[in-house]
Order: sequence, then structure tokens, then C-alpha cells
Amino acid sequence: MAKATPDRLRRRSPRMRAAFPYLLLTPALLYLLAITLYPGLFAIYQSLFVVKFLNWTWTGFGNYAAILKDREFWAALGNTAIIGGISLALQTAIALTVAYFAYRDPFIRGWRILYIMPMLFMPSAVAFIWKLAFNDGRVISDLLMSLGLIERNVDWLGNIWLARLTLITADVWQWTPFLFIIFVAGLQGQDQEIEEAARLDGASWPAIFWNISLPMLRPIIVVAVTLRGIDITTMFTNVYVMTQGSPGGATETMSYFIYRQGFRMFNFGYASAASVLMLIMTIIIAQTVVRRAFHSGKA
Amino acid sequence: MASIRLENIVKRYGAFTGVQNMSLDIADEEFLVLLGPSGCGKTTTMRMIAGLEMPTEGNIIIGGEVVNDIDARDRDVAMVFQGYALYPNMTVYENIRFPLRMRRVPASDQDRMVRTAADMVELGAFLDRKPGALSGGQRQRAALARAVVRQPQVFLMDEPLSNLDAKLRQSMRVQIKHMQRQLRITTVYVTHDQIEAMTLADRIVIMNKGAIQQVGTPDQIYTDPANTFVAGFIGGPPMNLIEGTATGGRFTAPGVNAPCPANLSGRITLGIRPEDCTVGGGQVQGLVYGVEPTGDVTYLSVLAGTKQVEVKAARDFRSDIDVPITIGFDPARLYFFGADGQRIRGGA
Ligand SMILES: Nc1ncnc2c1ncn2[C@@H]1O[C@H](COP(=O)(O)OP(=O)(O)OP(=O)(O)O)[C@@H](O)[C@H]1O
Ligand SMILES: [Mg+2]
Repeated sequence: MAKATPDRLRRRSPRMRAAFPYLLLTPALLYLLAITLYPGLFAIYQSLFVVKFLNWTWTGFGNYAAILKDREFWAALGNTAIIGGISLALQTAIALTVAYFAYRDPFIRGWRILYIMPMLFMPSAVAFIWKLAFNDGRVISDLLMSLGLIERNVDWLGNIWLARLTLITADVWQWTPFLFIIFVAGLQGQDQEIEEAARLDGASWPAIFWNISLPMLRPIIVVAVTLRGIDITTMFTNVYVMTQGSPGGATETMSYFIYRQGFRMFNFGYASAASVLMLIMTIIIAQTVVRRAFHSGKA
Repeated sequence: MASIRLENIVKRYGAFTGVQNMSLDIADEEFLVLLGPSGCGKTTTMRMIAGLEMPTEGNIIIGGEVVNDIDARDRDVAMVFQGYALYPNMTVYENIRFPLRMRRVPASDQDRMVRTAADMVELGAFLDRKPGALSGGQRQRAALARAVVRQPQVFLMDEPLSNLDAKLRQSMRVQIKHMQRQLRITTVYVTHDQIEAMTLADRIVIMNKGAIQQVGTPDQIYTDPANTFVAGFIGGPPMNLIEGTATGGRFTAPGVNAPCPANLSGRITLGIRPEDCTVGGGQVQGLVYGVEPTGDVTYLSVLAGTKQVEVKAARDFRSDIDVPITIGFDPARLYFFGADGQRIRGGA
């Protein structure tokens, strides 16, 4: 029985054998084509037209030219960079700090599920919870008032930075655990003897972390932060539920801008062009970051 | 500069005992070698001295102070790890400098010290490389340099030369010994290479299965083994150990007949080193099993009954196999061990 498969394989014609790996790949390829490539190509195609429902008018790069002159587009780009950047920096710093204190704890393995809980919730549910906490339910205002930190209810959407803060808080809350888990796994995977050697060489725990563990963790940090960064640039749910871009567009991210163009104003071609631009920018940034990080890590 | 004392050290991993009831006094400035087969607890012992592992029972005393509760960082020992444990993100230079930086050695001295240590291990040309771009032997030498770059209370070296070729190993051996004499730093050195142990050690500790078998100078260990384990472990090839019966002043085994003290009787083990055997003589009657010329000496295996006896023969000795041969023992160099493997002293 056990020998049957290899024997039959050996008897197959060479052409069959050459095709076999591709056959195995076919389902995955079909899936990929249907789910990502087709919509992607469709968006690129559509971005070359002015689309009014079924009425497509060729415009070439007209949409792109218009977008690059659109102040709202640039504002959305800036907002995404500000909100995403602060949020990403905060969650990376928090996750690293907590990981540094936690990774030697053998119980972390057992408690992991608790740490990843926030990631397991439905994104829209999380958004609604924070919307309740900040705006509708005033939970946070009440909390701060009872601590005596503020006098009156805060109107979180009345101020540019407060509104952005609510989005940042929600994202940090939901995604810090993701980075934390990855960092802890990375640190726990490091050769313990290296730490011991550093200890004997007279290094304190912070010195070991700073001089040795952190540099060794670098490739993992880069990959995790890049993944997170790509995800953050497409931040949508929280904006849609919590702020809808207010006040005055100060929290309108790229995704929300595209959504508004496409599904509120029905400028499908325009929205497609914006998403193609965004895709290109994301790819370029991610590529540079990863390549830089990995190259200077070697040699 | 410190003496080390181990008092009834026990290390258990769950139900498994890694080191059992080990007591040992290591004098100040001594070069002590731990020798034993793989898995006998050498690294475990070192790690306990370094403070990387807590003994389950017993005390560790360095320089007159019980250090059980003192962190590894504050024991002021330098260690060469069996697995090197180099910092992969740093160059060789930065690796060697790391202990100096951490121990706050004045920056003006650091460069000179790093280069001295690197030159000692002949790594001067590799200072800018990262460990990933070094060969196994070069990594090992980098680890050695990192340990000897500063002057700690104690050196711990866990098989620091195991990956070097014979020539380099020999020159490193001389270097290490010279340096240890010069710096006068108490050193514990782990190896399972006997030549290293014999040439380096002031005293050798032979371990097996977590227990000390014998402690003594290289001469004592060689000429006066305490039991069959030590006798069979030391020497290359090691001592012949032949099980047989003693009656009325004669020891007999299949193909073997030798004198023994008259007071011995019953099942005992006779020990004789290959170099104390001669071709021709009346103690062994057997067949030539194999001949191994090595250049300066020829080793001869003789099959006596079912037992092979190793003989160090003359350089030009040659023979076909399965030829009948007789072997003589130097009667003054016979060792006898009881059924429990312990040496039976006196008498002979
Ligand atoms: N963390 C551990 N948990 C369980 N058993 C261990 C642990 N560390 C070591 N041991 C066991 O303790 C025994 C002694 O190990 P040790 O590393 O001291 O051997 P060694 O003498 O250094 O061997 P080698 O010459 O192969 O390096 C071994 O049988 C090993 O399996
Ligand atoms: Mg070992």
C-alpha cells in the first residue's frame, strides 16, 4: 500500500509529471484571480473612464489628473499618514515594551488567548463599542469626570485632534495585541544562550534588550509593522462608524475618501483611480521599507 | 582571583539527576579540567558555577562567599559557551568589545584590549565580519577571545577548542595555558579530549553519569586509576580490561594467564595498558586480529578468547591477521579491579 503512490507516479508520462505541480496550484490560482486580480484589473480599467452608472466615457488619465489637483484627496492622504503613523508608532512601542517585560514569563504561553481577544472581535463591533464609549454613551467622558480630570462632557468630534485621538485609540486597542504576540514569539524564539552570554559579560536586562534582543528581532519587527502599516492605510470601518470623516474632513482617511467618491457621489471612475494611486503608493512604501531593513540587517 | 568550592551539589531535572552529590575544591589560580563522556554533566556543572543554573541542592562558594543567590552578572566569571553564543548582530570586534563596554572599562583601553585578544586567537583579520560569515572554528575562537578579553575572577571554558583542526588546537592549547599562568585566573575547562585534559590540567576531574569518578593530577589519573571507568577512559588506546577469575595467585581468562596477588580470589578484572604489553611472552595466547601502523608506533589487536587485547608494538611490527601470537605483560604494571569496578590496591 505504502509503495503504491510513488510507483504510479514514476510510471506517469514526463509531461504529466511536469504538469502535476501546476495542477496542484490551480485551485489557489483560480481563487486568487477571482478574488484579487480580477477586481484589481477592473479597477485599473474603470479608472480610465468617467463612469455614470452604465454610461462609461473614456477619459484616459483624466481622473488621475483631477485627483492630483483635488485638495480633499491630499487632505485624506495627510490624515491617513497622521492617524496611521501615530497609531502605528504607539502600538509598536506599547507592544515592544510589554513584550520586553513579558516574554520570559512562561505563563505568557497559556495566557496568549487573553491577549489576542481584541483581535477576535468583529471590526464593526469594535468600532461601535468605541463609538459608544466616546460619543454616544459618553463612557469615557464620565470616567474622566469621575477621576476629576475634566469638568464637562467632551465633544470628541468637535476638535480635530480629539476626533483623531478616538480613531487612534480604537486602532491601538484592537491591534497592539497582534504586534505583542508576534514580538513575544520572536523574542522567545531567540537563542537563550546568547542572552546568558550577555549576562555573564555584565549586561543589565535593559542593555541586553537594547544591544542584542532588539537588533535580532529587527526583521520580525519590520515585517509585522509593514503588515500592520498596510492594514492601517486602508483603515475604514472605524472611520465609517465613529467619525464619518468629521470634523470638517479631519478624520477622512484614504479609504473613506474612496468610499465617499464611489458610493456617495457615484464617481466610480474617480474612486477607482484613487484606489489605484493608493495601491501604488502602498506597494512602493512597503517595498522600500522591507528592502532597506533587510539589506542593512546583513553583511 | 578566587577559589571555588562545590558542596554536595545536586542538579535534578524532574526525575532525572544531571549532577549527583558533587563536592569539589578548586584552588585559587588552579587549572582544573572536567573530563567525561557526552551527557555526564560537565556543562551543567559549569552553568551552575556561572550562575546560569540553580543547583537543586548544595552550595557553590566562590572566593569564600556562598554565591547561590548571586546573579550570574555579579559573579564576575567569563565563559566560553559550547555553542559559542556570539551576538549575531555585532561584528567580531563588537562581540569581543561587548564585555568591556558592559563592565565600563575605560574607552581608551578598549581598542588595545580587543586587538590583543583577537591576535591571541589569530582572528585579527576577521574583526569586521559578523559571526554568520565565519567558519565554525573561527566562531569558536571569537567566543574564546570574548571570554579572555577581560580579567574575571574565574574562567569557564566549555570545549573551547572542539571545532579546530589539530594544528590550531595544539597552538591554542599552548596559548590558553600560557595565558592562564600569566593572568593567574582560576580556570575550569571542559573537554572530552584526553590530550587536552592531560596537557592543560593541574588536576583532572573525571565524571560519569553526573558523578565524580576521580580527582587527581594527570599523572595520578593515568598511573593510579580509581576504577575501571577511569582506567578505560584515559589513554589512547585505553587500558585493556580483562574479566576473569583469580585463584591461588593466578589470574585466568580465555587465552590469558597472568600472576596476581595471592590474596585475590573470585571474579575480578585485570587491567594492563597497551604500552606495558610486549609481543612474545607467556600471558596471552591468541590470534592477530588487526595491525594499525601510525608512523611512530604500531598498534596491534590480539584476539584472546572473545576479548581483544590492544598492544603497543614496535614501529616496524607487521603481521598478517589470524596468525597465532603470544603477548607478555609487565608484571609490575598490572592493575586489578573488584567485581564492583573499584580498584583493588596493594599486594601486587
Ligand atoms: N534543561 C535540561 N532539562 C533536562 N535535562 C537536561 C537539561 N540540561 C541538561 N540535561 C541533561 O543533563 C545531562 C547532562 O547534560 P550536560 O549538558 O551537562 O552534559 P555534558 O557533560 O556537557 O555533555 P556534552 O559533552 O555532550 O556537552 C544530560 O543527560 C542532559 O540530557
Ligand atoms: Mg556540554
